[in-house]
Amino acid sequence: MSKKYWQNFGELNNSAAFQQQAKDEFREELPFEGEALSDAKTPRRDFLKYVGFSTAAAAIAAGCEVPLKKVIPYVNKPQDLVPGVSDYYASTYVSGSDVVPIVAKVRDGRPIKIEGNELSALTGGGTSARVQASVLDLYDTARLRYPMADGKEVSSLEAFDKMIAGAIGGTAVVLLTPTITSRTTLKIIAEFIGKYPGSRHVQYDGISYSALLDANIASFGKRVIPSYQFDKAKVIVSLGADFLGSWLNPVEFQRGYAKLRKIDEKNISMSKHYQFESVLSMTGANADERFTHKPSESGAVAAALLNAVTGKEVSGVSDKVKKGIVKVAKDLLDNKGSGLVISSSNNKNIQVIVNAINDATGANGSTVNWSLPLLNKQGLDSEMATLVADMDGGRVSSLLIYDVNPAYDYFDADKFKAALKKVKTVVSFNERMDETTELVKYILPAHHYLESWGDTEIKPGHISMMQPTINPLFKTRQLQDTLLKWSGNPLGYHDYFKDYWVTTLGGEDGYNNAMMNGVLQPETAAAVTAVSLAADKVAEAVGSISSIKKGGKYELVLYQKPVLGDGRQANNPWLLETPDPVTRATWDNYVIMSPALGKELLGVDIADRRQSDTFEVNPDKPVVKVKVGSREVLLPALIIPGVETNTIAIAVGYGRNVKSGRATVGAGKNVYQFALGGDMNVSDVAIELVAGEKYKVAQGQTHSSYEGRVEVVKEMKLEDFKKNPTEILQERDKELKPWGGLENFSKEGSPYPYYDKPGIKWGMSIDLNSCFGCGACVVACTAENNVAVVGKSEVLRFHDMAWLRIDRYFSGNPADPDSIQTIFQPMLCQHCDNAPCENVCPVAATNHSSEGLNQMTYNRCIGTRYCANNCPYKVRRFNWADYTGADSFPHNQDQQLVGHLDDSVHMMNDDLTRMVLNPDVTVRSRGVIEKCSFCVQRLQEGKLKAKKENRTLTDKDAKTACQQACAADSIVFGNVNNKDSQISTVRRENQGRLFYALEQLHVLPNVNYLAKIRNSDMLTGVKEAHEEHGTEEGHGTEKKAAKEHA
Amino acid sequence: MSLLRYESQVREPLVTGAKTYHQVTEDIIRPIEMNPTRLWYIGFIISVALLCFGIFSVTMEVMYGVGQWNLGKTIGWGWDITNFVWWVGIGHAGTLISAILLLFRQGWRTGVNRAAEAMTIFAVMCAGQFPIWHMGRVWMAFFVMPYPNTRGPVWVNFNSPLLWDVFAISTYFTVSLLFWYAGLLPDLATVRDRAKLKWRKMMYGVLSFGWTGSTKHWQRHESLSLVLAGLSTPLVLSVHTIVSFDFATSIVPGWHTTIFPPYFVAGAVFSGFAMVQTLLLITRKVLKLEDYITLEHIEVMNKVIVLTGSIVGVAYITELFISWYGQNPYEAAAFRNRWDLTTPYAWSYYIMMGCNVLSPQFFWFKKLRRNLLFTFFMSILVNVGMWFERFVIIVTSIYRDYLPSSWSTYYSPSIYEVGFYLGTFGLFFTCYFLFSKFFPVIALAEIKHILKKNGESYKNNMAGIEKEPVEEFAHEHAHDHGV
Repeated sequence: MSKKYWQNFGELNNSAAFQQQAKDEFREELPFEGEALSDAKTPRRDFLKYVGFSTAAAAIAAGCEVPLKKVIPYVNKPQDLVPGVSDYYASTYVSGSDVVPIVAKVRDGRPIKIEGNELSALTGGGTSARVQASVLDLYDTARLRYPMADGKEVSSLEAFDKMIAGAIGGTAVVLLTPTITSRTTLKIIAEFIGKYPGSRHVQYDGISYSALLDANIASFGKRVIPSYQFDKAKVIVSLGADFLGSWLNPVEFQRGYAKLRKIDEKNISMSKHYQFESVLSMTGANADERFTHKPSESGAVAAALLNAVTGKEVSGVSDKVKKGIVKVAKDLLDNKGSGLVISSSNNKNIQVIVNAINDATGANGSTVNWSLPLLNKQGLDSEMATLVADMDGGRVSSLLIYDVNPAYDYFDADKFKAALKKVKTVVSFNERMDETTELVKYILPAHHYLESWGDTEIKPGHISMMQPTINPLFKTRQLQDTLLKWSGNPLGYHDYFKDYWVTTLGGEDGYNNAMMNGVLQPETAAAVTAVSLAADKVAEAVGSISSIKKGGKYELVLYQKPVLGDGRQANNPWLLETPDPVTRATWDNYVIMSPALGKELLGVDIADRRQSDTFEVNPDKPVVKVKVGSREVLLPALIIPGVETNTIAIAVGYGRNVKSGRATVGAGKNVYQFALGGDMNVSDVAIELVAGEKYKVAQGQTHSSYEGRVEVVKEMKLEDFKKNPTEILQERDKELKPWGGLENFSKEGSPYPYYDKPGIKWGMSIDLNSCFGCGACVVACTAENNVAVVGKSEVLRFHDMAWLRIDRYFSGNPADPDSIQTIFQPMLCQHCDNAPCENVCPVAATNHSSEGLNQMTYNRCIGTRYCANNCPYKVRRFNWADYTGADSFPHNQDQQLVGHLDDSVHMMNDDLTRMVLNPDVTVRSRGVIEKCSFCVQRLQEGKLKAKKENRTLTDKDAKTACQQACAADSIVFGNVNNKDSQISTVRRENQGRLFYALEQLHVLPNVNYLAKIRNSDMLTGVKEAHEEHGTEEGHGTEKKAAKEHA
Repeated sequence: MSLLRYESQVREPLVTGAKTYHQVTEDIIRPIEMNPTRLWYIGFIISVALLCFGIFSVTMEVMYGVGQWNLGKTIGWGWDITNFVWWVGIGHAGTLISAILLLFRQGWRTGVNRAAEAMTIFAVMCAGQFPIWHMGRVWMAFFVMPYPNTRGPVWVNFNSPLLWDVFAISTYFTVSLLFWYAGLLPDLATVRDRAKLKWRKMMYGVLSFGWTGSTKHWQRHESLSLVLAGLSTPLVLSVHTIVSFDFATSIVPGWHTTIFPPYFVAGAVFSGFAMVQTLLLITRKVLKLEDYITLEHIEVMNKVIVLTGSIVGVAYITELFISWYGQNPYEAAAFRNRWDLTTPYAWSYYIMMGCNVLSPQFFWFKKLRRNLLFTFFMSILVNVGMWFERFVIIVTSIYRDYLPSSWSTYYSPSIYEVGFYLGTFGLFFTCYFLFSKFFPVIALAEIKHILKKNGESYKNNMAGIEKEPVEEFAHEHAHDHGV
């Protein structure tokens, strides 16, 4: 027991009195320890517990449950794979006979984005919309997933091989493919054919270039297509060829063409582009001068031009066209050796005449280069016709079909289908249940190109390699592997391929290098060579041209849309939702007609403002019946200026079968049946209005005139620009004079303080002279930034989500198709330094970064849409519905009464399709605003890279997706504060053309445009409007001038 | 010889029918103590049905997204904000009547202020629905509240007019509610004192905060009323000014207009009075309160309507003039899209002009001012016009703004947009029906204040005196007090 110390006697004695005193020393009880409270039903601690619990419960209840998805980490991390870091593999986009060298971005084992291969001498990193969209095809839900026989799955590839071995049994086979440019594949095919004596290989291209090949053999004795050197052509004359959009090899052509379209202000010159055509093609929209004629007059136009360049009398064409031809001929002769005439005609005689023109103007051997033929279009109509006849005659017992779809795109598909029934064994290697494959007994789907090995050779020596970027997703096999197996070769294709290239390139190193770079090309460009022309054939051709019968009252042109092409990728929602450059319509094909025909046939007079206002915004378009012979089709009609008065046009590539994919359902009608004999011009059609019938066409843009608003887009004639290269600059300075002029506008244009912008400041420049409207950037943006597909029903309701769109404006007199001038203006968030969207957001969900980016904080956004209303460029997009399935509300994609999410949207939300999503970019949920971020994820990555390497950021570190996609390098992006960057250089060197859209608003955009310069004698609409600028009349003139819709 | 005048002859009595204090109490409290009439039930059921439809419409919108409305990338606001501004405008008359007219000592306000204030509160409640439910992520609506938070903290954007709206509307609502309730206290106590049923005693007992009618209570009540009136007065002007900032501070041609604040306030008072007319004309009829809401009241309010309508008209014309005079091609184009008959929305502009500028001019005629049917018709017309004013401002400005490429289509509302709007009518009238059943629709105590001076019996008593010449009166009364 320890000792006890006491302080006083009281404590020692511990009397009752002392105890009481001690107890009373602190008289007040602590309130919470009083009896009343602790006896209460809810004492303090419990109360706190309840408060805590109920607050937490309320918080949990309020924060709606977000569906959980499990992520499983690697147990053993694969070598060379860092999660979250992308790998890049060089490969080649191959779609039918289209070939573009690419680099695939692979993230955590799956390709998510396609870039052009910058090492390629031909495309230089350029891509097209289809190339950009092709990565989505890899994850297409409609791809066939296993070998099939009689519609049932075959258990294994070996079992399938056995089945086929039995079915073919060593008899002769026919292999039907698109043009194949791969050396190893051609070798394998040759070996295969050797094993099955009597076999043959038929190449068939859905869009035929047969006449061109035939004409070249007639004129030059060579069945090849030469290289067209647009980069050297100062005078370009296109007879109907949409070479920037769909003809032959548009990516290469865009690149070459752009070289002479860009303007160097120190030495102002540009090429002159004439277009003779019947409808307004994307290429025609970029031409300096256009002349329209009937499709049946194509031959006459070519013959007249030949006459003109050879000094003969021009006849057989309308006066307007004649005037044009005389002018063109003079230009061609003045620029001997640097002119280029091309034609898209599939008439051999016309092509022979074009050859003669090129020969007469010295193009043969300069801009028409025979030493480097283009190898990607070798299909001959005659071979296909023979094959169909053979099949029909029962002379083909086995047919192997690879990557072609004649039951859809052969003009006589019915005949082909009937003939196909007579073939004993048919095997299809197509990747989906397309029109041909669904008629076939044996199906062995091939890999997607991103799963394949291979090589391509688009021009001799220009080789581009393919390598898989992902393990095959399904039980599929490459054609080459199959052929090797079936010809009894024990090697797999990869080994075969590798052996070939190791041998050819002299070693493993060469091979590895080739795979790394993706492209092999000759060190020095082959000398341009000419081939002498067989002059005797020309007279013959001219003779037969004159016998071409006159067309009927109405004529028809079939064309490929620059975005969708021949329909091979028709189940691609990215492509279907990208507006057509000319019509700005999505998801459908339709009949395009001139305003005059629209008035006559549809009773819509677009010169009347009320009618045009109604027609242009009302998606219900009248339906017309188009009839060629006994074949007919019902399609909606759009009125587009610039189309020859009595000509209509319909795009091919639509109207796929239901099994081709969920997105194709309801998308347009197939019109390949009208391309009689592979000719896309039809000289006699009947067309009538189907009374009372309407069909909705979803357009991304409904109004087509820029109403003389020169603050929005600026264009000038070359001649004027040469005379006064600083006119635009002076005008801008004059306009901004009251607010400090150009120099001090950013400071003095506002009463608010001005802040310095040190460090990085991002900026973009878009050259309107080299933007052709093709849409590659639009799809690239969609792919990079996980931009949602909303489906036709939602595009119809103006709910499209595109972060980047290409505005298209017409000017000119709609009654005169030749006067129509078109301008394309890519429109994206301008990242204004004084952004009107930023200060109106109540919750500061959009704000400015120190680097000049206008940024969106999705998880802060509450969706008031005020920013979108206040954006003068209308680039902000609101998530009107749960397009991505990213929402926290379940089952909210099945709208009943208002709105509808099409199956294409659900397809995009499939787990397979979602593999294409870029993990660096948030998938936006319903109810938030989104818009262009200047690909901020790329900028961050680029900055980090530079920082890790301890160097300043260069232009190569950070490129936006749109910039990278553009074949014409129309978009330049970089750090404006770095005086040596490309963007600074471009802005410095193009002072005369530089402008900011709606500059006077003092929103201070970080995107500038370079004005469009037209090498033309006229500038329709704009000038008058400009002079009367500010008056109602000014707008009126322009409005009257271009009341187009559609 | 001059006549004695206590009051101008043009002043009519504000309470007719020679009422005594007790009669006043009886008349006004009768509807509360009676069982509701058939008419009341029918009206109430319709209102509740509309409210339910509104709730359903909003539910669909929240479930599936704002895509359930027919807005788009160009027209981001349509019926939602149109209805918001319209309801806020309607909510202006009440406070104006109770606050500004109180300060100006306008005796006639007592007949109408209670109902007008109730209407204000209900209208602001309806208005508030729109900015809330128009949000894409309404479950995050609390982000607009500036409070310390764990997200950074992230603060609201004090530059945004929408945020000013949040403060303006909530302040206005709070002050209006307090003012209204403070005025109700003595009346509720009266109801309580007369109540025979236990639950009524209880309910009104609680509601009347223990009001006993002591002098102290009255003195405090009067002070409070004055203070609140002082507070509300600037609010009447500021709320719609701030609402107009939603547009005026933007850069959209047609919105970016400095005239908006006064123009909006005048328009708000205009539409508010029209709505008061609509409601009171029905109320006085149904509840038989013709003695308290007299023709005089109606006429005075019609005078306010013709005044504010004319101000609005001047504003419209000024705006139009400036669009030409200002030489801004974008603004000119925006206005052309209104007045030019060939443009798609011109009809809405002319409905607005007709209803708001032309029609009130009929009120220059006294006969028409005092015609009940005509007044009722006009009050509807004015509110149709004012709805179109907001529609014209919002939709016809943004459907065609700077970039012609983004010019959009005819916008027509979806069923859920209409449903939402009807739903707010449901909310408004449900509240109003409940109010008319459970609360005195006329400020009982205040009427009694003026009864002595403005009641008919007082006027009658005075008539005799007023006929006496001054001298006679002086002579007669000189003896009384021995002066």
